[in-house]
Amino acid sequence: MPTLIINGKEITVAPGTTIMEAARQLAIYIPHFCYHPSLPVAGNCRMCMVEVEKMPRPVVACAMPASEGMVVRTESPMVLQARKGVMEFLLINHPLDCPVCDQGGACDLQDLALKYGPDRSRFSVDKRQVRNKDLGPLIETEMDRCIHCTRCIRFSAEVAGTEEMGAMHRGDHMEVGPWVEGPLTSELSGNMAEICPVGALNDKPFHFQARSWELTTSAGVCGHCAVGCHLRWQQLQGQVKRILADTCPTINSSWICDKGRFACDGLSHARLTVPMIRKEEALTVTTWPQALARAGEILQGVAPEEVAGLAGGYHLAAEDLFAFQDLLRHAIGTPHLDHRLQQRDFSADEQPLTRGDFLLNTRLADLPSADCIVLVGCDPRQEAPILNWRLRQAALAGARTFVLNTRRLQSTLPGLETWVQPPGREAEFLDQVQKALKAKKPGATPAARLAAALKEAKRPVILLGAQALHHPQAETLRRQGVAILDACGALSEKWNGYNLLAPSATAVAAQDLGVVPHRGPGYRPVTPVGHNAGEILRQAAAGKIKVLLLLGADPILDGVDPDLARAALAGVRVIALATHRSPATERAAVVLPAAVATPEQDALLVNGEGCVQRSAQAIPPPGDARPAWRILRALSDTLARPLGYNTLVTLRAALAAAVPVYDLAATGDDAPPSVTRSLADKFKKVPAAANGHGLTLVLEPAFWFADAVARASTTLDKLAPRRQVRLNPEDATRLGVRDGQRVRLTSGERSIDLRAGIDATIPAGTLFGRYGQGEEEAHHLGDVAEAFPEVEVTPLS
Amino acid sequence: MRETPPGEQVVYRHMGLQDGHLLAVARERGAYEAARKAFVMGSAAVIEEVKKSNLRGRGGAGFPAGMKWSFIPKDTSRPHYLICNADEGEPGTCKDREILRRDPHLLIEGMIIAAFAVQAERGYIYIRGEFTREAEVLQRAIDDALTAGLLGENCLGSGFRFHLAVHRGAGAYVCGEETGLIESLEGKKGQPRVKPPFPANVGLYDCPTVINNVETLAAVPMIIERGGDWYASLGVPKSNGTKVFSVSGHVLRPGNYEVPLGIPLKSLIEDYAGGVRGGWENLKGVIPGGSSTPVLRAEVCETIAMDYESLAKAGSMLGAGSVIVMDKSVCIVRAIARLSRFYRHESCGQCTPCREGTGWLAQIMRRLEAGEGKNGDVELLQDVCASMSGKTICALGDAAAMPVAGAIRAFPEEFAYHIKHGRCMVG
Repeated sequence: MPTLIINGKEITVAPGTTIMEAARQLAIYIPHFCYHPSLPVAGNCRMCMVEVEKMPRPVVACAMPASEGMVVRTESPMVLQARKGVMEFLLINHPLDCPVCDQGGACDLQDLALKYGPDRSRFSVDKRQVRNKDLGPLIETEMDRCIHCTRCIRFSAEVAGTEEMGAMHRGDHMEVGPWVEGPLTSELSGNMAEICPVGALNDKPFHFQARSWELTTSAGVCGHCAVGCHLRWQQLQGQVKRILADTCPTINSSWICDKGRFACDGLSHARLTVPMIRKEEALTVTTWPQALARAGEILQGVAPEEVAGLAGGYHLAAEDLFAFQDLLRHAIGTPHLDHRLQQRDFSADEQPLTRGDFLLNTRLADLPSADCIVLVGCDPRQEAPILNWRLRQAALAGARTFVLNTRRLQSTLPGLETWVQPPGREAEFLDQVQKALKAKKPGATPAARLAAALKEAKRPVILLGAQALHHPQAETLRRQGVAILDACGALSEKWNGYNLLAPSATAVAAQDLGVVPHRGPGYRPVTPVGHNAGEILRQAAAGKIKVLLLLGADPILDGVDPDLARAALAGVRVIALATHRSPATERAAVVLPAAVATPEQDALLVNGEGCVQRSAQAIPPPGDARPAWRILRALSDTLARPLGYNTLVTLRAALAAAVPVYDLAATGDDAPPSVTRSLADKFKKVPAAANGHGLTLVLEPAFWFADAVARASTTLDKLAPRRQVRLNPEDATRLGVRDGQRVRLTSGERSIDLRAGIDATIPAGTLFGRYGQGEEEAHHLGDVAEAFPEVEVTPLS
Repeated sequence: MRETPPGEQVVYRHMGLQDGHLLAVARERGAYEAARKAFVMGSAAVIEEVKKSNLRGRGGAGFPAGMKWSFIPKDTSRPHYLICNADEGEPGTCKDREILRRDPHLLIEGMIIAAFAVQAERGYIYIRGEFTREAEVLQRAIDDALTAGLLGENCLGSGFRFHLAVHRGAGAYVCGEETGLIESLEGKKGQPRVKPPFPANVGLYDCPTVINNVETLAAVPMIIERGGDWYASLGVPKSNGTKVFSVSGHVLRPGNYEVPLGIPLKSLIEDYAGGVRGGWENLKGVIPGGSSTPVLRAEVCETIAMDYESLAKAGSMLGAGSVIVMDKSVCIVRAIARLSRFYRHESCGQCTPCREGTGWLAQIMRRLEAGEGKNGDVELLQDVCASMSGKTICALGDAAAMPVAGAIRAFPEEFAYHIKHGRCMVG
């Protein structure tokens, strides 16, 4: 533990701490460009030079480890002289275009030039000109401004793991750019623009949208996936113009993914801004009192158990979900409510599962210390990019990584071992792993090798992802995961390796707050048990459910069986609380425009590890839109059964009383949630695909279009191909399909025309489509509710 | 004309041997006997002997080799590496090339001894890309030594394991910088690393690594053979032993001369290199240690001794011992402008002062040389040099600044003349 003195202040730091970090601990600012606390040290900008007694030359604070008895001066004449020299060098070739630079006003170079820069240039020849690079639709480049700090290069290599950026040439001809020009493939690429200390890499959608000093910044929490990254909303005149990462060491460090950053334009497209009711077949604009009255009439016109509620869609606040179940259960009096529109296997509902069964029990901050990671039906890079980065940290530190999936992943985890299983065969594989764990002799099969790796591991992790969660044998897979970890002794309080990656913050809160038919808030069983999501739609299609209350959910886009959803919505009257126009709102009897929880309301969000976070309101909801819980409260008034809270304070008090972890004032030192063990289960085989002529269809959630805001974003639209199915090159050749060609998919009576993408990561015999991008997607082929349908593919000319 | 008798030479002792690069001929002259002796002495004793010899790094920095070896941590499970820096690229230097070409077994033997001293099982010779023939000769010598059991799993039957590989560079000057070399050897772009950590602890593949110049390693067998005290008795105090000087430029007999350190520069030029073209009075100045060392005026050359301390005192450096002699036909501004262009081309571009400074210096020097200089340009050059010196990741920034600052110091009148008259004083 060396003790050193910086500017006369003494500090003792951990061995290996650099002067820069020690100074930060003392709140002494040392100017820098290339240094970034979350990136490897490069030491190339030379701005952080400091004077150390007994050293003949200035040293760079970012790279020099503190040692015992060091006496450091950060503002001595020698240091100022050195910094002025560096500043002059940086400015000689830097263009003087601050007035038209997006970074202007928030630029490290500008700020430090004020203190260390010369007031006139002694550089009399032409400044260097550098060709701009094409980095795709998210990042705009102005490479004349680059100061070669290599933050983007180090980010790309170390954090993103895509190694796309590099420095070409050398000396003053050195150019920073992509090795291969074209759209960046990293899902974290926006961070490069954010960490660029000058205006060389810029947020492209934000380009020329505002000056940085005009923006009002407020801190919030992202709800696009179950990670819950901290971010900063920057708004101008009620519109979010830009999103930046905020630092949270235990969750996202200082990174956010491109969806969290760039989906914000979806807040202003396709929004519902006024209440509407259906009059003579058409939706017409109306006032809140009339819309609420109409909704009240509809609800009171049927028996309570003929009403059902479905929640989902964009990140709903915990308050919204709590009020939703409260309204349905107590004001309306129906047990039928659910949020699990993409789930096929509801057999777990018969078991007394608790909170730990639905969470990432290994905390995000602890994941990097895992030494063996097994992904089951999970593509973390797509489902939760920041979680993937945590896994990558573990892999870089030497953890072994395995994935059991229906196709190879384009992963950034070094050394990822992949076992591709035909759709529906995952449970058989895990069964072999379980047997191998019990076997005395080590085997040579893949399952035995995985078992051996798990046995060796001290901190193993199993992560169940979307494909596992939405699998026809979801509960089997889940229990196998629990059993395997239990056999490895990895379910203890010291190390809990069981992780279920919920598809969104909404899903975690909905479990916690009882937006399921069999449990109330806090995992308390309820009677009677209502219908689950699948059953609600079937009952609606059969005419037994007559009114559907939708909270952000669109069963047509998000459900496993769009045909069933269409039939259901056609037969019932729909009251839709929604943020964006969607197929379900088009079919609704009453449309009640809701706020997007973050950033349009002060909201509680829970992330996949069960951490409850408050996100402040950054902008007002558009038009007449209101927070969903307020609408639900108003609806309860029209039913003359008012919910027991009328303000955010009283609502949060009720919420905290029902589920104590939602009490923000709580100390948080409760025992960690535990996992339910030893539930016996015999897995049943999924029937093999029918006749072997066609390809087996597997549906994946569309990362870029998983929620209403993302779907409405024109920025994200440029990134991901819509209306596409992907197949293996061999199958494509056999069927005569070219890349990009239109094909007709036929399953039974139904057919749909889509574009084919040829992708070597897809195993032969399967066809991959996506959920949630629109009504003309592969999942609208129907018959996907039970398992993996077989589809015939015919190329169209 | 004088020549050092072969018996007084250390690294060039066998230069005159016909086919000295062949193993059979080398064995004949006694090659690998020192290695055999080293194995008997034990590694600690070898390091002690080299420390005693006060052999200093011959690549330019002059760091004591024995001390460098003793920095290798003893208590680590990581493998150790030995690297020979044969990326001889400093303009004016051509001393290592002769060893590589004519006496590769001397280098290999030196490496075996050094590897044994620091317990390295693998060695690399990073050879300048342009040295095609030398690489071939070296590879053959390694192959022969391996076949003869001098290298490999059981060096000379001692039980010591040492494998040696030749890696050819691709022509970047900066890869002669030891950490730039390591990066290049690892397959990355040749960009020097920030120090600390130093290669002795975190070097090749992040393992403890010793890097020595060819001439340094080639001196080791003789030190082991005759003892450190013998070697230390050569030369002058603090600058012990012999040094190969590559004398080039306006001399009648340019070439490599191995002489004891401390020899007067005048003697080196007049007695060994055939004298200055047109006589000693025609001498304008000498760059004593390679392109990066500051130039000396003729008056200084009259008395200066060629050792580390004397040259440092005179404001220059011994460097790699590359003596560039310039007679009165030389325009100093033009000569330095050419060097600045070289450093601009060779800067890796990684750190700010070197990337921007080398380019700026070259631009100012170019316009001075072209007669477009302005009042204040000399002061600007000095400022730019000051902002570069000691502020960069590696020594290339200093290497680029020193000749400019040194030339302004030694020949201010030539710069002034260029600015005032727009042309050279000479010709």
